[in-house]
Amino acid sequence: MQSANNAPPPNDPLASLPMANPTMKPLPSKQRGQPLVLDSRSHSQPAAQPTTPVRERRTNPSAASLFRSTLTPPGSRSGSPAPMGSPARSLTGSVFGSGGFKQSLLDTAAAENPGDPLNLILKSFVPHIAIHDSEDVEHLVKEKGFKGGLFELLRPFGERVQGRVTIRDSNGASRTWDDFSVRFTRFGEAVEDPDTLPDPRSLRGPPPNGQPQYNMPRKKTSLVQQVEQVVEKHLGFAEEASMGAATPTTPTRQGLDTDTTSPYYALYLRRLLSGIPMASHETFSHPVACVIAISSRHPAPIEALRQLYSETTPAEQRIPPWVDGDFLRYYVLVHDEERSDITKSMQLFDQMKRHFGLHCHLLRIRSSQAAETDDDSIPLPRSDWMSASEELADIERSEQLQDSFDDDPHLFNRYIFESDATAIRTFIREMVIQSIIPTMERNVSLWNDQVASRRRGISGRFMSLSKRFTVFGSSSSSSRSSTSSSNNGFETLGYYRPDTPEAIMRRLADFAFMLRDWKLAMSTYDLLRTDFQNDKAWKYHASANEMAALSLLIMPQTMSSKNRVEIINPMVEQALYSYHTRCSSLYGAVRSTLLSLELLRLRGGIGIDESVRWGTRLLEMRLFGPVGDALLRERLAVCYASKRGTGSQLWGSRRRKSAMWSVLAAQAWVSMGKYLQAQKCLADARRMYSLLPSEWGVQGFNGASECLAGLNEAVREGLRVTREYAEALEAEGGHSQGGGTREGEEGEGLGLGLQFDESSNLTIRPKADNQAAAAAAATDHNNNAQTEVDVDVDVEQSGFNGQSSQLPSRPPQIPTPTASSKSPTPETTRGGDEQPEGFEDATPTTSGPSSGHSPTRPRKASMAVRTSRVLSSADLEPAAPLPPLIPARLASTSGRDENKSKDGKDGGFG
Amino acid sequence: MSYYFAIIGTQDNPLFEYEFGTSKQGGDGMARFTEQARQLNQFIIHSSLDIVEEVQWTNGQMYLKLVDRFFTSYISCFLTASNIKFLLLHQPPSSSSSSALPHPSSSASTSTPSLVSSSQSSTSVIPSLSTLTGGSNSSTSTLTGGTSRTSTSIAANPTSPQTEEAIRNFFAEVYENYVKAIMSPFYRTNMEIRSPVFRARVAAAGRKYL
Repeated sequence: MQSANNAPPPNDPLASLPMANPTMKPLPSKQRGQPLVLDSRSHSQPAAQPTTPVRERRTNPSAASLFRSTLTPPGSRSGSPAPMGSPARSLTGSVFGSGGFKQSLLDTAAAENPGDPLNLILKSFVPHIAIHDSEDVEHLVKEKGFKGGLFELLRPFGERVQGRVTIRDSNGASRTWDDFSVRFTRFGEAVEDPDTLPDPRSLRGPPPNGQPQYNMPRKKTSLVQQVEQVVEKHLGFAEEASMGAATPTTPTRQGLDTDTTSPYYALYLRRLLSGIPMASHETFSHPVACVIAISSRHPAPIEALRQLYSETTPAEQRIPPWVDGDFLRYYVLVHDEERSDITKSMQLFDQMKRHFGLHCHLLRIRSSQAAETDDDSIPLPRSDWMSASEELADIERSEQLQDSFDDDPHLFNRYIFESDATAIRTFIREMVIQSIIPTMERNVSLWNDQVASRRRGISGRFMSLSKRFTVFGSSSSSSRSSTSSSNNGFETLGYYRPDTPEAIMRRLADFAFMLRDWKLAMSTYDLLRTDFQNDKAWKYHASANEMAALSLLIMPQTMSSKNRVEIINPMVEQALYSYHTRCSSLYGAVRSTLLSLELLRLRGGIGIDESVRWGTRLLEMRLFGPVGDALLRERLAVCYASKRGTGSQLWGSRRRKSAMWSVLAAQAWVSMGKYLQAQKCLADARRMYSLLPSEWGVQGFNGASECLAGLNEAVREGLRVTREYAEALEAEGGHSQGGGTREGEEGEGLGLGLQFDESSNLTIRPKADNQAAAAAAATDHNNNAQTEVDVDVDVEQSGFNGQSSQLPSRPPQIPTPTASSKSPTPETTRGGDEQPEGFEDATPTTSGPSSGHSPTRPRKASMAVRTSRVLSSADLEPAAPLPPLIPARLASTSGRDENKSKDGKDGGFG
Repeated sequence: MSYYFAIIGTQDNPLFEYEFGTSKQGGDGMARFTEQARQLNQFIIHSSLDIVEEVQWTNGQMYLKLVDRFFTSYISCFLTASNIKFLLLHQPPSSSSSSALPHPSSSASTSTPSLVSSSQSSTSVIPSLSTLTGGSNSSTSTLTGGTSRTSTSIAANPTSPQTEEAIRNFFAEVYENYVKAIMSPFYRTNMEIRSPVFRARVAAAGRKYL
């Protein structure tokens, strides 16, 4: 889909590598293979320019930038982030207590750590700032090349507010955060209908005005589906892109390294969290402030500002009635550096300040378009937090572009001037620090004093009691006191008006959550839970439960983990039940459970078992599509893997469980035709099994090892089919299109393909010369980088695919289903008691020194299929109709195998 | 109810495996695992060793009762001396022919809300799933007859005290026979038990108690 029928790119990584000189095309494949080996090897090193080869490998670099979030594998970053056994993740679970955990996360995540779920949560529930700009501003920004207006220009910068941000909590203690962020939205967009509410009057769609609108999902179910679609696109892209590169997904070092997240899972979470619709039951996406912008070109600026202001008031009905219209207005004068007169703008700005107070800013940007070649131009970062529908639209657009061969790099890689970027950063920082956060703090303390603390006191409790009884009594008209909320209007309107105590408290709690005052947030959510329950406002109830659980999990903890789990579990349960059963809100159910799962996992200890319990619960409820299902299985494997054991035998760890979930995930991926992911999961499983003290893994079990072998076979078969298909494609179209370069590539692909066939056979083969050469060339890499790639490759190779070393007593092995090794394996593998010694070689503990000789083979295998990048995953599915568990061939012969293995055992022991 | 009984050696290696079904209330004593479920069962048993290794330090008994659960598969454990474990996987009858392995291929419809409110009622979800997976299962083993069976009290609720007691009795009897079997002078640790007599006695114990 992506790159079908495309001419080979000029910046193919092969060409950029020194050894692969384009003039050396007709070289035999052995030597041509070398640079790639080197390349992927260096990729595993943290310092060696980790991401560029992957990106360039794409046929279309502009499309690759779309998929950057998953193409830059976390593994390439995992060299620098917290190492495996970082003390922050110890069994005690004091993850959040000192803040050291976050600190370390942010230190390492100079360029936004994509993965960590906590980071994602922190950065997704942030203040939303609506942008309402005049037409002349949009025009100006469009001249700069941004069709989306000021919103598009500002958005990437809001994701990381420059510098440190100090926030004072409700007790007056201030805390400094490095990673504060805000989210920009277009004013009046992304409104969600309260679809479950009874009153049709409350149903109001996005405001009918002339603004360009994204087609936000009306139902939350479709949001989850969109998320799945996005992730699937990324997966398909990676499948194509890395068919031979072996870089983004095949290397599995991050696999069960519990400190990094699978890029796809991270993407899933991120997209799930990025498009939080503006809904009545939670105020996270309600605007905290609204930027009202005009440009210096406007003839009547002050009037325009007044006009824009009046459009943002609730009277204009651009925002739904449940949104509090009393948010901060921030007035911005966009000064065109190139065409307007600065003195005039300064005058105007002074005038603005006189009229509108202090919340004003003069933003000086240039109006001309920056080109890549300009000295002071920097690429505008893509927003990490675009919603799923936006990203889908982008991807589709790029696909269409590719189809029409109209490759416009400016569409996705846009540039702005450094000075503009600085100006925007300064603007956002000033706005956040001087206006938004103080306003929020003031609101929090005001609401806390006036509304929440009254409810917290004894009289408040009494009040709520009396309210309850009057509701049970005759009519609710009897109690009309100011704080009593029997007249909050929920029954008639279907939502809480913004001036009701419930709505204010909800906003208070959300503000506190956004300002990271977890304690206040937690206590307020806790109050709200009962209120909403009494009102039978189930969606509100679910959301309050969800956020209460989250803030309780994030809070520094004093109670024991057992207590905590006992308190938190009912909250999650309530949230899930209310969201799913009472409101049939798939999005809410998935979000609440997934986030709780992640935070529970971070808590370690007993929390991990709980998190897996929620995960299996989600799987049981079958809320996901296939992609989410497989991703969640993968995640559960990671969850289990992150449980640390104690003692020399690591009692209490969950390595076997983790491995099993990896196998299940591999199964799911295979049934979807995503073989690279499946391969990765299988490698994870192997690694986990090999870490077991028994060193047998699951191999003692016939059925299980058959299943593994079947999966292995399916993955290999799938990769082979894609490769063959790609070769066929190239044979058809390659000659006519590509000319010399094409032929060279094709020859290489074929040559390597042969090698792939040989080496992928599950028989014992001596090393080929070229492998030795490649290994020798790569020795330095091996020596100085004890990378996990090597480990994985070793295990992958020797644990399952056969032994590269000729030991006299062969270790136990999975019975392999190919014709060459079908019959005799069980007999040879089931040896006596001396097996563990022989098997020692298959464990990754020895991989450091021994990695020099072995790891080239699988790499070559995957290298061979690099030519199949033109194949889309959709084409692949019918080509490899594999039954989900074991291939048909296996299924028919498995019985025999079992008998044979039994016989073998009889022979061995009897 | 279908059972899968395994004796696990110290190296996570199965010393003895036996599948059987319930014989109570007209059961024919046949296990109703599909080929897939059979493979999955081994994974489940193996993975629950993790839990066993944790629970064994907190419990003074040899019979550890129900230690683990994987969707509808419940695992009970009995520890013997020298770190040999008896593990019994039991599945309630409603999903006896299921692999309990949710296949994403058959989960095209994500929007079907299933009303699962507690973990116990999860059995109501899995059957629909099992029919789906059963349809896609290519291997038609003779053991997977399609007869729907009435549930005994033991089989119906795997967490009930009656079930616990029945499994305890089963384990006790198997343990007795196991001790006798490994007293053979030719038996060494971690060697597979292939004595047909032992197998028959395990089968008898299964018929008697489960």
